[in-house]
Amino acid sequence: MNIKRRELVLCITFILLFAGGFFSCVLIQGPEYSDSERRLLAPMPEFSKENVKSGRFMTDFETYAVDAFPFRDTFRTVKSLTARNVFARQDNNGIYVTDGYISALEYPMNEASIHRSVERFRSVCEKYLTDENKVYLSVIPDKNCFIASESGHLSMDYAVIEQLIAEEADFAVYVPISDLLDREDYYKTDTHWRQERIMDVAERLARAMETELLQDYEIHTLEREFYGVYHGQAALPLPPDQLQYLTGTAIDSCTVYDWQNEREMPVYDMEKAAGRDPYEIFLSGSLPLLTITNPRALTDRSLIIFRDSFGSSIAPLLASGYSQIILVDIRYIHPDHLGAFIDFEGSDVLFLYSTLVLNHSDTLR
Amino acid sequence: MLFSSITFLYYFLPLTVAFYFLVPRRLKNVVLLFASLVFYGWGEPKYTRLLGLTVVLGYGFGLLVERYRNKRAGRILCITSVVVTLSFLVYFKYADFFLSNIHAVTGWNIALLRLTLPIGISFYTFQIISYTIDVYRGETAQRSLIDLAAYVTMFPQLIAGPIVRYSDIADQLSARQHSWHGAAEGIRRFVIGLAKKILLADQLGELCSVFRASDEKSVLFYWMYACAFTLQIYFDFSGYSDMAIGIGGVFGFRIPENFNYPYISKTITEFWRRWHISLGTWFRDYVYIPLGGNRKGRWRQLFNILVVWLLTGFWHGAAWNFILWGLLFAVLLTVEKLWLLRKLEKSRIVSRIYTLLFVLFGFVIFNAENVGQAVSDLGGMIGVGGLPLISDETLYNLRSFGIVLLAGGIGATPVVRNLAGKVSEHPAGDRILEFVEPVGLAVLMLVMTAYLVDGSFQAFLYFRF
Repeated sequence: MNIKRRELVLCITFILLFAGGFFSCVLIQGPEYSDSERRLLAPMPEFSKENVKSGRFMTDFETYAVDAFPFRDTFRTVKSLTARNVFARQDNNGIYVTDGYISALEYPMNEASIHRSVERFRSVCEKYLTDENKVYLSVIPDKNCFIASESGHLSMDYAVIEQLIAEEADFAVYVPISDLLDREDYYKTDTHWRQERIMDVAERLARAMETELLQDYEIHTLEREFYGVYHGQAALPLPPDQLQYLTGTAIDSCTVYDWQNEREMPVYDMEKAAGRDPYEIFLSGSLPLLTITNPRALTDRSLIIFRDSFGSSIAPLLASGYSQIILVDIRYIHPDHLGAFIDFEGSDVLFLYSTLVLNHSDTLR
Repeated sequence: MLFSSITFLYYFLPLTVAFYFLVPRRLKNVVLLFASLVFYGWGEPKYTRLLGLTVVLGYGFGLLVERYRNKRAGRILCITSVVVTLSFLVYFKYADFFLSNIHAVTGWNIALLRLTLPIGISFYTFQIISYTIDVYRGETAQRSLIDLAAYVTMFPQLIAGPIVRYSDIADQLSARQHSWHGAAEGIRRFVIGLAKKILLADQLGELCSVFRASDEKSVLFYWMYACAFTLQIYFDFSGYSDMAIGIGGVFGFRIPENFNYPYISKTITEFWRRWHISLGTWFRDYVYIPLGGNRKGRWRQLFNILVVWLLTGFWHGAAWNFILWGLLFAVLLTVEKLWLLRKLEKSRIVSRIYTLLFVLFGFVIFNAENVGQAVSDLGGMIGVGGLPLISDETLYNLRSFGIVLLAGGIGATPVVRNLAGKVSEHPAGDRILEFVEPVGLAVLMLVMTAYLVDGSFQAFLYFRF
C-alpha cells in the first residue's frame, strides 16, 4: 500500500463514517422513552421562524440530536467502559460499580439538609401530635454505607448522621437499624433494600414500638428480571437482579386505599411488575397517602409512617402488628393538608427515612 | 455550534462537505460562506448581523484604503477602519468593565449594559483589522465581498482562531488545491484535535469543576487543580486549532499552526513563541513593531513589551485578573531579556521547571473569577490558611483522574508524535500503521461519539475571549 492508497483508505473510511452517521441520524426514528435512563427523550423541536430567531430551535435541536442518536444505549456503554477501563475513572457521572454492586456517590454530607429534615419532622409533631402519641424515628443507611469505603469511594460518615439525628430528634425515640444491614440486603442494580432480607429490621422496629409481628412469610420471585435504576445509569453490561416479595397471613388479608386516586388496591401491584420500575410493585410506588387495613391484626393499634420509597417494602412486614397503617410521603403532600385525611389520635408515629432523602431534604415539604 | 457536538459532526459537517465538493469551483466560497453563517447563527442568531456589518465595513474600508493608500487620506481611512472595528469589540466586551471600574473609583451609580459577548468577536475583529492594515501596507484589496466574507467568517476558525491573517490566505481564496492527501491530513488532524478536546480537556475540566465545588480542599488538591487547568486549556485550545487546521485542510486551505508543544519550553520567551502563535505574531506585527519594537533603545523596547502584554491580557478578558496575567508575563519577559535568557537556555531541567511553574501560576490567575480568588488559589498552593496537605477527596480524585492527568502530561510533549514518526520510518512499522491508522482513528471517532452521546461535553474555553 503506498501513501496515496493509505490516504484514500483514510478518506473513504471517514466519508462512510460521517455519511453513515448522517443518514442514521436522519432516517432512524429513536424511541420516545429511554428505559435504561428512565426518562423521556427530547423530541424534535418545532421548526418555526420564532423558534429559530430566539435560538430555541437550535438549543433544543442539540438536545434532540444527542437523545435521538441511533444506538444511544450502546454508545453510552462504550463511554462507560472507556471511562472505567481506559481512563480508570473511579466513577462515571457519579455512578460506580464495586463487586457487581452499582451505586451513586453520595458525598459530601449536607449537615444543613439533615438539620432541615429533623425540623420538618418536628413541625409535623408539633402540629398534629400530643403526649399520647408515641413517636419513633429510624434512619435507613443507603447502600454506599456498606460498599463505598471498602472500594475506596467517597462516602458520608453514617455514624455521624445517626448521631446528629438521634441527638436532634428529641421528640422521638431513635431506633437504630444500621447494625442489622449489610450490602447483601440491597439490590445490586437499584437504590433500594430487598424486602426478603429486612425481616429482622421490621422485627427490631416492631419490638421498639412494642408490638408483635407474624413471621409466616412465603418468598415469591418475580419472573421478570429486575434492572434497577442504577443499571441504566451505569450503562455497563452487568447482570440484573431478581426481585422477590413476601406474602403471609397478615399481608394477604390486608387492603390498601390510595387516597390520591381514590381507589382500593392490593399490597403488591402486579401490574407494575411489567412496568418501567418493577420495584413499584410494593404499594404501587410513589404515592402521597395510603392506608393499609389489616382485619386480622393482632392488635387494634394504628401506625402512621412518614416514609420515602424504602418504606413501601417494609410497611407490609409491619402490617401484622397493626390494624391500620397509614403511609405518608411528605415529598408529595404538604404536611399542612394531613389533618383532612388522618386522625392522629392515639396512633404510633414512625419517621422512617433513608439517608438519600435526609441528605437532600429540600424534597421534603 | 461546537465542533464537539453531535449536531456539528453528524449533521452540519457531512452536509457542508457534500455540498462543497458537489458545487463547481466558482461556487465553493459561496457554500463556505453560507455554511459559516449557519454555523455562527446556530449559536448566535442575534449577532449574525453584527458579524455581517463588520465584514461589510471591512470590505468597504479595504477598497477605500487601497484607493488612497499612498495619500494622507489612506492613513486616516486605515486608522478609522481600525477604530470603528475595535469600537464594536470595546462596546460588547469591555463596556461593563470600564463602567464598573468608574463606579468603583467615583462611586457614581452607573447601570451596567450586561451585554452578551458575541462569540468569536475578539478573533474576527483582529482578522478584519489585519486585513485593512495589510491592504494599507500594500496587499491588494479583495474585490469580491463573498470571498472576503468567506475569509472572515470561515467556520473552522471563526470563533476560536487561529487568527488567520488575510495575507496568509489571500491567494487560497481564489485558487486552492483539493487533494486526497490534503483531505487525509485534514481528517487526521481533526480527529486528533477532537480527541484532545473530548477525551482530555473535558475530563480535566471535570476535575477543575470538582475542585471548585469541593469543601474539602487541600494543598495537593490546589496543585492538582492548577495542573489540570494548565493541561485543560492547552488541550482545549490546541485541540480547537487542530480541528480548524484539519477542516481547513479538507477544504484546501492551509491554516497556520497555532501551537508547538509550549510546555516543553525552556523560557517564557520560548513559551510565547509556541503558545497561541497567531495571537503572538499578530501583536508583534500590528502593535509591537509599529510601536518601535527593539529599534528605539532598550527602555522603549521594555515599554513596548509592557504595552503588548497588557493588551494581550486584556484581549483575553475584561477583568483585572487577565490584566494581572498579562503583566506577569511582561515582567517575566523583561527579566529574561535583561538577565536570565542566556542562562536559562543553557539549562535543560531547571529552566523547564521554572517555565512550567510560572505558566502554571499564570493560568491559576487566568482562570480565577477575580483577583481575590486568584490570590486565594495561589495561597492554597502553598498551604495558606492552615490547609491540610491532603484529604480523602483529594486522594479519591487523584485516583479517579490520575490516568487523565498522566495522559495529559505525556500528550503535552512531542513524545507520542516522535514515537509515531519512528514507527513509520521502519518498513514494518509503516505497514502496521497503514492498517492501524484508519481503523484507530475510526475507533477513536466512535469513542468520542460515545462521549458526546453521553452528554458530557463542555463548551470551548476560548469561546469566551
